Amino acid sequence: MNAKGAVLPVGEGFAPAVIEWLKEALNREIFEAVLIPVETPAEDSYAYLLIQNPAILDRASPLPPVMPVQGGKAIGRLTMRGTLNKRVAAVVRPCEARAAIELTKLKQAHLTNLFLITLDCAGVLPLSDYLEDPATAGARFAEAVTQGDRSPMRPSCQICHRFSLASAPGVDLHIGTLGIDEGSAVIVPGSLKGERILEQMGVSEDDERARPVAEMLERWTTQVAEVTEAQIERRRQAHAELQEAVAGADRLLETFSTCINCHNCQRACPVCYCRQCYFESTALKLPPDNYLARATAKGALRFAPDTLLFHLGRASHMALSCVSCGACEDACPMDIPVGQVFSLLADRAQEALGYVAGRNVDDPLPLVAYEMEELHGVEQPYVEIYREQEVQDA
Amino acid sequence: MSEEQEFVPRIIYFMCSWCGSGGAETAAAHHLRYPENVVPSRVNCTGALPPVHILRTLIEGADGVVISGCHPGDCHYEDGNFRARRRVALVKNLLDTLGLEPERVWFRYVAHGEGRRFVDTAAAFNDHIKRLGPNPLKTRSDT
Repeated sequence: MNAKGAVLPVGEGFAPAVIEWLKEALNREIFEAVLIPVETPAEDSYAYLLIQNPAILDRASPLPPVMPVQGGKAIGRLTMRGTLNKRVAAVVRPCEARAAIELTKLKQAHLTNLFLITLDCAGVLPLSDYLEDPATAGARFAEAVTQGDRSPMRPSCQICHRFSLASAPGVDLHIGTLGIDEGSAVIVPGSLKGERILEQMGVSEDDERARPVAEMLERWTTQVAEVTEAQIERRRQAHAELQEAVAGADRLLETFSTCINCHNCQRACPVCYCRQCYFESTALKLPPDNYLARATAKGALRFAPDTLLFHLGRASHMALSCVSCGACEDACPMDIPVGQVFSLLADRAQEALGYVAGRNVDDPLPLVAYEMEELHGVEQPYVEIYREQEVQDA
Repeated sequence: MSEEQEFVPRIIYFMCSWCGSGGAETAAAHHLRYPENVVPSRVNCTGALPPVHILRTLIEGADGVVISGCHPGDCHYEDGNFRARRRVALVKNLLDTLGLEPERVWFRYVAHGEGRRFVDTAAAFNDHIKRLGPNPLKTRSDT
């Protein structure tokens, strides 16, 4: 096998094949538990289940039409207090895997014994759209995925350019479907852990019904690169338009004017890593005279106060770790485009500091690492223009 | 009196407790003056100044923020000023993306002995902000 990867035969659809594969891995104790989205019994949403009984896997859905809980957050909750002592496979979307990797670097999750399995993602529907009628929305989602149409998806998904393995090449296993005929998929290892799993599973290198794996991998890689390029262009355009719409004090405050200070965006955010949020701490709960003084200075003070500070401050905390998943926007009851604004801020900030959130566990966090010679543009040069004044003073 | 003369900016000068405020001490020892509307505020290390505080200062009434720490290689904590440089770069980048005038934030090294440089920085920044005009966020009640 020169090109790394294996064929996943897809008989009766993609999801059942993935589930069958996971089931076999569970039965053979290659994994001892699986964390995967499962449709709720009421059939109106999806939730991550930590599954140990293979029978429950039947109801699982590797690519659900919505993302009510970001998988990175689920992994964070599972492993925040310590490492796993059993092998757990987490089947998540690429942005969720990147969030998990980012959380690991922020010491809010542990990847030991956790196997990240990602899939080619076409996006998810906005939660509000889905909840209007879950049954038809599910069908609409499936249709859009087969067409490769991102227009019904969330705004963040529409401009997502990190939907495949290349965005986080270190995930353990990735299941690729783009550019490959229906009836098969490829499983690509991203890490040594993943390679070992594939060897143990002994997935066929060649499937009789499918092309040889090397050819399939090549077609997949080409197609992913093609879509990525188109998405990058889409993202660039969308961000340019968005920046036009929000830049400047007036337009920015207009954007956030409907904010009700519920902080849902912060709670839904997978990489909001502080265990105690600064914006909910007593640091911003001040004695009345403080507010009166501010009202005097400004003429009036909006209550609850610190709305803009919350959003900007949150950006300063997590823009460098933002994986542009759009969970914040899904959680916003007022339809503020927080996810889009944050992905814009994140893209620019990460570019400035040469970092891509969640790409690699070994990349140091940008606010922890530094170079001696960098960013000289922010240092204000000292021009001795005030010399004459000094002479006069003396 | 023209409007330009009337505008007295409110400026917060964050300085680290080793070099930045040392520079202020040296300036005091030499009886050097700096504009009275520049309010010094000491932080233990510029690397320990959270970006949120810079944003909060700008939203809650300051027209500009200057940050001064030790020269590269002189940090009391070895690398605090390098970390500060990244944080300031982050804040400036956020402000720039949102069109909120990143030039209202200055970052300049001032050593303990550089009283003149401290006073010059305060004066030069004061003039710079006077030219820029008032910070639009400080008068907005809906922040």
